Amino acid sequence: MVVKKKSFIRSIGFALIVLLIVTFAIFPFLQMLSLSLKYQFDWGNPSLIPRKINLKAYKELLNIGTKMRAVPDSIKRLLENKALTRTQKKSILKKYQETGNIFPFLRYFWNSFFLSFTASFISLIIAILGAYSFSRVHYKGQGIIQRGVLFVYMFGGILLLIPLYQIAIKSGLARTGSGSFISLLIIYMVQTLPVSLYMLGNYFRSIPFSIEEAALIDGCTRFETIEKVIIPLSLPAISTVFIYAFMIAWNEYLFASVFLRSYKNLYTLPVGLKALFVSKNAIWDRIMAASVLTATPVVILFMIVQKNLVSGLTSGGVKE
Amino acid sequence: MFFPGAFTHGTFGLEEEKVTVRAHSLRIEEARFGWKLILPAVIIIGSLIIYPIIYNMYLSFFNVKLQGANIFIGLKNYKNVLTDPSFWHAVLTTFIYVIGTTIGTTLVGLGVALVMMRSFPLRGLVRALILLPYIAPVISVVFSWQFFFDPVNGIFMHITYDTLHLFEKRFNLIGSPQNAVIVAIIFNIWRSFPFSYLMILSRLQSIDNSGYEAAEIDGANSWQKFWYITLPELYFILGTIVILRVIWNFNKFEDVYLLTDNVKVLSVYTYFKAFTGVMDQGQGAALAVIQFLLLIGFILFYVRKVLKW
Repeated sequence: MVVKKKSFIRSIGFALIVLLIVTFAIFPFLQMLSLSLKYQFDWGNPSLIPRKINLKAYKELLNIGTKMRAVPDSIKRLLENKALTRTQKKSILKKYQETGNIFPFLRYFWNSFFLSFTASFISLIIAILGAYSFSRVHYKGQGIIQRGVLFVYMFGGILLLIPLYQIAIKSGLARTGSGSFISLLIIYMVQTLPVSLYMLGNYFRSIPFSIEEAALIDGCTRFETIEKVIIPLSLPAISTVFIYAFMIAWNEYLFASVFLRSYKNLYTLPVGLKALFVSKNAIWDRIMAASVLTATPVVILFMIVQKNLVSGLTSGGVKE
Repeated sequence: MFFPGAFTHGTFGLEEEKVTVRAHSLRIEEARFGWKLILPAVIIIGSLIIYPIIYNMYLSFFNVKLQGANIFIGLKNYKNVLTDPSFWHAVLTTFIYVIGTTIGTTLVGLGVALVMMRSFPLRGLVRALILLPYIAPVISVVFSWQFFFDPVNGIFMHITYDTLHLFEKRFNLIGSPQNAVIVAIIFNIWRSFPFSYLMILSRLQSIDNSGYEAAEIDGANSWQKFWYITLPELYFILGTIVILRVIWNFNKFEDVYLLTDNVKVLSVYTYFKAFTGVMDQGQGAALAVIQFLLLIGFILFYVRKVLKW
């Protein structure tokens, strides 16, 4: 009886500890979600459940239903006139629609997506070849290169920021928006390359060589075995590495803030959000809604690859 | 191109020396193939990581102009940096930040890993949920943390001021540098404990059970089991986590700067020097070099004295 009581107290205590850990981990996310749905009068209310649901911030960010708000009624009536062509209507409408002032969330989202996707895709292809070379081919100098890739872990972004910025300025790339954007694309590609190389190298080593041998005997070239054997066999690892690289680029702020500084319409989400926060348009519900929408793609991607990513992380291929 | 058919034409029955010649040329082919595959990565890393670092050292001896030619000024950038008291303040802040976050992350990670070893209902869900801080973009979580400490609406003030009456008046905890560094440390622990937890958990799962059974027969309590069996098994992984954490957090920028610009660790200090105001990039370059040397020094000390390699 006594023993039972003691173990009961223990399991209650244990449950409390688990609850504490979970709360610690996800409370900021819950608060973010809750605040994004609250009206201003509700902000000081410590409860996470909004008294009244407010979807205005999301609608604004995603451009739902905001288009017609600033258009006067007389113009709306004019637009119903059937004699006008479509382009005429559009050009009239354009003059009255809200511009500026609202946070161009979708554009920043697209900039971020384009940068992260392209950079991690190119880096993935280069990394597949490099990682194959690390894990399957034997030659002199291999060890040095492999250790060199690890050594890159030591360098923080700030050490590379000034020289890369100077190079971009001196070469004239930083003078135009597209040049800056391309510089940033290349930088993201480089930043994700070491991780991809390392993680993929570890995975390729776990594929038995005999499978490849069979393909070689069937007359495949080495290159073809990469294409037809290695890539299909390591698709889970490849998609994991791709998503991890995507996440690194998606989350990056330092380089983007410097390179895109004077090109407002090229901002990525992190830079745009930071700018929004210091600007006068900073309203908690809008900021939190933007935060939720920024985190969502990453969280979804993470849920897809969760299992693979965890084993990839623990086998040592990580960088922050 | 990549020696097609090299394996299909068997070398059986050839004379021994011919085999050696063939093996030799195969090895050369193999090396050539390997280099071909790694070359793009080497060129990219070389030209966009190694070269810029060398270029950074070069720049640190110049008065770097944003327009026009740079002027060589020798060690003046270094002298200016080292004689500036705010630099030494940044060094101190960095050390506090690195030590605080490293110890915190490792201990919290260890604790959580020990809890997650036991089975309980919904463990899979819990394990997935506690990884969220690690994967979410920094920018998307900093505002929630800022709101938490918001002097008007934040829950922290609600609890400490309204409920517990700990303070005289409402204030912003992130507003002053001394308090902000503590918040920055807690924020980083929150963000990175999932990583150390994962590393420790995967090591814990591979510990052989027989040691524990033997200890139980000898009448060891759970604390003794942890101290004499678990901890020694974890020694190496804990050492690795600590060194990775030190390297990463020494260079940490986003986790600090986006939460508050009140905490001037070296990365933030350099960023302000090189990209705001007069944009003194020469001094910025010198700072980056010094930061790198400090990190190397710290690591050498750590590897020798703590890990005893």
